[in-house]
Amino acid sequence: MLNVSCIQRFSIGDGPGIRTTVFLKGCNLRCPWCHNPENLSPSPQTLSYPRIGKTVSYGVWMETEQIVREVMEDEPFYRADGGGVTLSGGEPMLQPEGAAKLALALKERDVPLLIDTAGSVPWSAFERMAGLAQMYYYDIKTADAALYRGVIGAAPGLVVGNLRRLIANGEVVHARVPLIPGFNLTEPDCAGIVGLLRDAGVKYVDLLPFHRLGSGKYATMGLDYPYRDTLPPTEAAVERFAEIFRRDFTVTIE
Amino acid sequence: MENTERLKKEIAVPAEGRFSPEIFRRRGYAAAKDDTVFCRRAKGLAELFAGPEPFLYQNDRIAGSIRPVFINASEKEQKDAVKWAARFPERDFLHNGDHFAPDYHTAVRLGLPGLLARIGEAEQTHENDPPALDYLNSMKITLLALRERLVKYAEKAAALNGEPGYHPENLRFIRENCAAVAERAPRTFAEGLQLVWMIHSCFVSEGKYAMALGRIDQYLYPLFQRDLADGMIDKAAATEMLANAFAKIGEVKLCTGGDDVVNICIGGVDAEGNCAVNELSYCVLEAVNDVHLPGPNLSARIAPDSPEAFLDACLRVIGTGLGYPALMNDRVNMAALRRFGYDEADVRDYCMVGCIENFLPGRQPPWTDGRFDPIRYLEDVLFRTCAVSPDAAPTIDAFMALYERRLAEGAMEYVERMNDLSRVTVPETRTSPFMSCFCDCCIERGRDINMGGAKYPAAHGAALMGIGTVSDSLAAIEQVVFEEKQITLTELADALKKNFKGCESLRERLLAAPKYGNNRAAADKYAVWYVQYLSDLFDRLKNHDGGPVYTAMAANVSNIYAGAGLGATPDGRLAGQPLSDAASPTYGRDTRGVTATLLSLSRPDYTRCACGTVVNQKFSPSVFAESKRKKLGQLIRVYFDRGGQEIQINSTSREVLQDAMDHPERYPSLVVRVSGFSALYVMLPREVQTDILHRTQHEAV
Repeated sequence: MLNVSCIQRFSIGDGPGIRTTVFLKGCNLRCPWCHNPENLSPSPQTLSYPRIGKTVSYGVWMETEQIVREVMEDEPFYRADGGGVTLSGGEPMLQPEGAAKLALALKERDVPLLIDTAGSVPWSAFERMAGLAQMYYYDIKTADAALYRGVIGAAPGLVVGNLRRLIANGEVVHARVPLIPGFNLTEPDCAGIVGLLRDAGVKYVDLLPFHRLGSGKYATMGLDYPYRDTLPPTEAAVERFAEIFRRDFTVTIE
Repeated sequence: MENTERLKKEIAVPAEGRFSPEIFRRRGYAAAKDDTVFCRRAKGLAELFAGPEPFLYQNDRIAGSIRPVFINASEKEQKDAVKWAARFPERDFLHNGDHFAPDYHTAVRLGLPGLLARIGEAEQTHENDPPALDYLNSMKITLLALRERLVKYAEKAAALNGEPGYHPENLRFIRENCAAVAERAPRTFAEGLQLVWMIHSCFVSEGKYAMALGRIDQYLYPLFQRDLADGMIDKAAATEMLANAFAKIGEVKLCTGGDDVVNICIGGVDAEGNCAVNELSYCVLEAVNDVHLPGPNLSARIAPDSPEAFLDACLRVIGTGLGYPALMNDRVNMAALRRFGYDEADVRDYCMVGCIENFLPGRQPPWTDGRFDPIRYLEDVLFRTCAVSPDAAPTIDAFMALYERRLAEGAMEYVERMNDLSRVTVPETRTSPFMSCFCDCCIERGRDINMGGAKYPAAHGAALMGIGTVSDSLAAIEQVVFEEKQITLTELADALKKNFKGCESLRERLLAAPKYGNNRAAADKYAVWYVQYLSDLFDRLKNHDGGPVYTAMAANVSNIYAGAGLGATPDGRLAGQPLSDAASPTYGRDTRGVTATLLSLSRPDYTRCACGTVVNQKFSPSVFAESKRKKLGQLIRVYFDRGGQEIQINSTSREVLQDAMDHPERYPSLVVRVSGFSALYVMLPREVQTDILHRTQHEAV
């Protein structure tokens, strides 16, 4: 069983090829810029959008078979060019048992699975997934431990340790670095992240410039969004930071 | 590119006077008192082609304009013209007079003298057949008028030399090309294009609005290749010349205020079935993009072995917001045409006329079509049978049997009605001698394109309306009436008549039933049935020319008008709302994402729809970004592999995004895709929508 927030088809920003992204509910981090606030709590939530007379419910427990049946509908599209399924969230690794079961079922069907994680979970969770994931999208938000602890509210040690072990085990890992104004968008911040990733043996870095598309969800949920009035970084700024990363990694700007 | 922009500005200047082809025809008719009916008709055309003083735009490189047909005729002449028009009526769309793709391949290969020589040979073959000789003579008159037109344009270019605003180099180019193709077959790309464009401008001068240019990347390719080898031309120069011609497609706005529907087809396969995409295909694509008008309807035939680069180039142009080319599944279209027994080489050479109608260029009379509206017959069964005899349909199968019987009657009525409308009583007074010069077998047989001259008889298209509305209605009837047994058909009919007033909960249940476009068999099976059953019906019928009745699902905006005049339907649709559009599911009812929609849409057997179908899909501009476009291409490949027939993709323009901010109810399924995130555009707060809007503006630059 997995606590599923929603299943989104034709996802083209969540890994190679055409993918279906299964968003899981529940997260143990509280990044103030998060664009999926509906996936933070493990409890079901209903968001209503009175302007268009629509309500959307997030959070339903689904059997592995049920998820497999649904995602396998798009198998022809995955086959076209290295597509597959992405587990995202929330933090999918908070549901390691269900995730591993789904991963196994997909492996039996030869459908690649990508895990989109922030990595702040016990190593045992990743251990269960050994050999089952095609690739990890692994969030590295800052190299500054105090900042991590202060803003996100968790200890970064676990994140860095898990990253090193995944790479040591030969897993394919893309470090995903969100570029957040007022958080890590300075050259020293980026240089710190570069150092961390280089030490861990990372080869691929995906940069995710901040956007505030999630702000509507906050408003609907009656929550305050600290980043409501923050503008996305300009393309030139993103390009400037990308240059810092390009010296050491293969960089993609999402 | 700059030249094209300048030309577009010149074209946009309103013309003085009224578009008056009938005045010129009248002059021709009146001056040919002693001629036969055929020749008199030809002389009407000849006066129209060669009579008016040629017009050149300052930025013209390829000449041929309809502006000279705009005049201020005297009242007497106008009245007189009406009388003559009654004696020699024109064939309109319903009478196989428009929507034709001429045989430009032969025209370019043989040139004017070659075509005239063919007529000479035919005259010998038919030396004992006076009507054929008479008709051949009428064809010759129109070709000679074309020659005169070319000569006059060459003279005009010479005369304009030194006039302010005109470039001597452009004038020299036009003079030489026009003079050359007046005398001999084209030897260069520029000459070939000039000949084709001058022929096209003759048709447009007649008032025809949907004459296709067809497979221009094929019939001009040998000349392009030769020029390229000789170093006379490069791709940029060819593109510029094409754009110079295509920009003038916008001239039609001058007479109608609307856009022209000149279909241009690129890609596909050659006569041997091999990939036909070439460098010129890309030039045509670029030229249409440079012109950036809704006028040229560009169609791309995507075959399984069409290069990825070609599909990607098409998507790139679509992503500029142009919405063209429409992408055609070559494999399915050819399989559909093959069913009618055409020669394989002819099938492989198909193109489109009008919006998407499959057509064998220069081998059959112009296209006609009409609208067949199956949902009306469903209403009929419910109101006239089920409401009166409650036991008429105790099961869904019995209900379907009633519906099928009614559809069968309806199809026969439709074809009889269309045949009555399209038949002409005295075809001799409505000949098309000029068009016949560009249609296979007309010269050899000495006969008019609409009087047995064309290689194949005319094809008529029955545009099937509302596949989504019908499928959803049947799925709702099956579930709510026959499975859940919540109401009877009689009660359903009653609720529909009341437009669900007082039956809101019933409407909710009907709306909750399965809907076409969600990759669920419960509704999709009715779409499969719809295509199969209706195509079977029309397969058995013949049009007024003894030719086939193709089916189509491509009825433009007719779904809005048809819906406006229709009561509530069992799918939960309220009275007056639009029907589902073309071959698409009902708008907003396909809620499981684009892949599910395309899986549903590839279920019906479109090799039964020889005319063609239209599926519209909108994507936000970010999907067309360099890094994502490949995935869009794969989406289309899979859809085509599974038997989808057509897809017309729109990149959501700034205007649409702006409109969606103000009218969110019109855009329920506009998705914004960002890594790890997705949302419906209309759910986003205004300031975030503005972010996206700015981004779109940026991307469009």
